[in-house]
Amino acid sequence: MEQKLRSEARALLEQGKVDYIFGYEPGSLKFTTTPLLTRDKNDVDRLVVNPFIVNNLAKFLTELKGRVGIVVKGCDSRSLVSLIQDNKVARGNVVILGVPCEGLIDLSKVEKLVGRERDELDDILREGDKVFVTVDGKKREFPIADVAFDKCLACELPTPKEYDILLGAPTSPIGQKDAGYTAIDNLKGKIPQERWEFWKKEFSRCIRCYACRNVCPACFCQRCFVEETEPKWVEPTANWQDNLLFQVVRNIHVAGRCSDCGECERACPVKIPLRALTREMYDIVGELFDFKTGMDKNEPSLMTHYEKEEAEGLIR
Amino acid sequence: MEQKSEWDPQIVGFLCKWCSYAGADLAGTSRKKYPPNVRVIKVPCSGRVDPLFVLKGLRMGFDGVLVSGCHPGDCHYQTGNYRARRKMAITKKFLEYMGVEPERIQASWVSASEGDKFAATVADVTDNLKKTGPNRLFEDRRENNGTEASK
Ligand code: SF4
Ligand code: SF4
Ligand code: FES
Repeated sequence: MEQKLRSEARALLEQGKVDYIFGYEPGSLKFTTTPLLTRDKNDVDRLVVNPFIVNNLAKFLTELKGRVGIVVKGCDSRSLVSLIQDNKVARGNVVILGVPCEGLIDLSKVEKLVGRERDELDDILREGDKVFVTVDGKKREFPIADVAFDKCLACELPTPKEYDILLGAPTSPIGQKDAGYTAIDNLKGKIPQERWEFWKKEFSRCIRCYACRNVCPACFCQRCFVEETEPKWVEPTANWQDNLLFQVVRNIHVAGRCSDCGECERACPVKIPLRALTREMYDIVGELFDFKTGMDKNEPSLMTHYEKEEAEGLIR
Repeated sequence: MEQKSEWDPQIVGFLCKWCSYAGADLAGTSRKKYPPNVRVIKVPCSGRVDPLFVLKGLRMGFDGVLVSGCHPGDCHYQTGNYRARRKMAITKKFLEYMGVEPERIQASWVSASEGDKFAATVADVTDNLKKTGPNRLFEDRRENNGTEASK
């Protein structure tokens, strides 16, 4: 897959079909990657495809001018399609290099399973649905479902539907949907006051760094309501009330554009289970309006469309 | 004389100026009696109501938020109320999931000629909120003490 990506990327640059190639290169830490954006065809050999390509690159498209050859996993492709639906990205300006994804490895799950920090591990290797972790010279085997990100277990589209070049054979979802749902199921069993208390506690840890917003491909406003001063909607300092209000409103604002890509949760430095919000919103939108984010670029986006009769029970 | 209870629900109402606001006006000019619990904010169309307003209302301590616009098909801007319906529906569902009593978030269609409906809606919403109780969602004795992390 990596070889194919490199040769395709080189060809695209050489033929002048794109101005940039946007993919992943090895990061400075073990088992990490970092985005690589380049116009130089000699850089393409740095491109990698591995189970650590976590970033959702669709985020940056709204800030790039020119034609971009972009590497996307299934989940990223949905964010990208959603941007196309919203006219934030022109389909003709992107060459989509689709990665049929087999699930990404969540290092914190690996750390828990082997009882070691990530830099103490010698090697992590994925072969099909197995993952081999070498630690202290010993090789241990885990099924991918045990070490993949929760969002990968709930993934509905591992292979991009919208692409120009597919870099490998299509893959199918690795997990049973419910495995990515535990947090929500636990919450739903509780009474409203308990649920509110839960979130109150979670958001009292929020430091309002806005990493969740800044990493989100659906958060593309030039000016976010939290930074408005006239009127001032939230206090700039962190307090749980405004932290919670911010996150709730953010989730509502990205409803129908959030594909539950999980980037916000991954970026959150204090580990607030944000996917328990995004997943629920994803389901609400699905139930009420039969809408799934970023599945079809020709479908109108959620908030630009309506049916004559819908959700009537909710309105007097 | 009727005994006045200490707490009375406070409602903030976002009313579309083309229909519900005029409907509320009509309720007034035709001397309909309805509970004085709603504070009205005039908006150009129900589609103008950002769910942020709903949250901000609750954050400020209002016990309930009412959004009211023209009936489906009657929006002065054709589709504003359809969009409002989508927004309000997800807002209500989502807040319910987070633990907010659904009674606190209300939406209605009231035309300019429906003074009666407006009065009845306010009466009903007020009644329901009395049962739900005061909004203590954002109350906190530690208010303005920052987050746990900063302490
Ligand atoms: S990333 Fe986490 S801590 Fe930062 S603003 Fe978002 S929820 Fe708060
Ligand atoms: S809200 Fe979170 S899960 Fe949804 S698109 Fe944004 S980063 Fe991804
Ligand atoms: S003008 Fe009344 S709802 Fe749009």
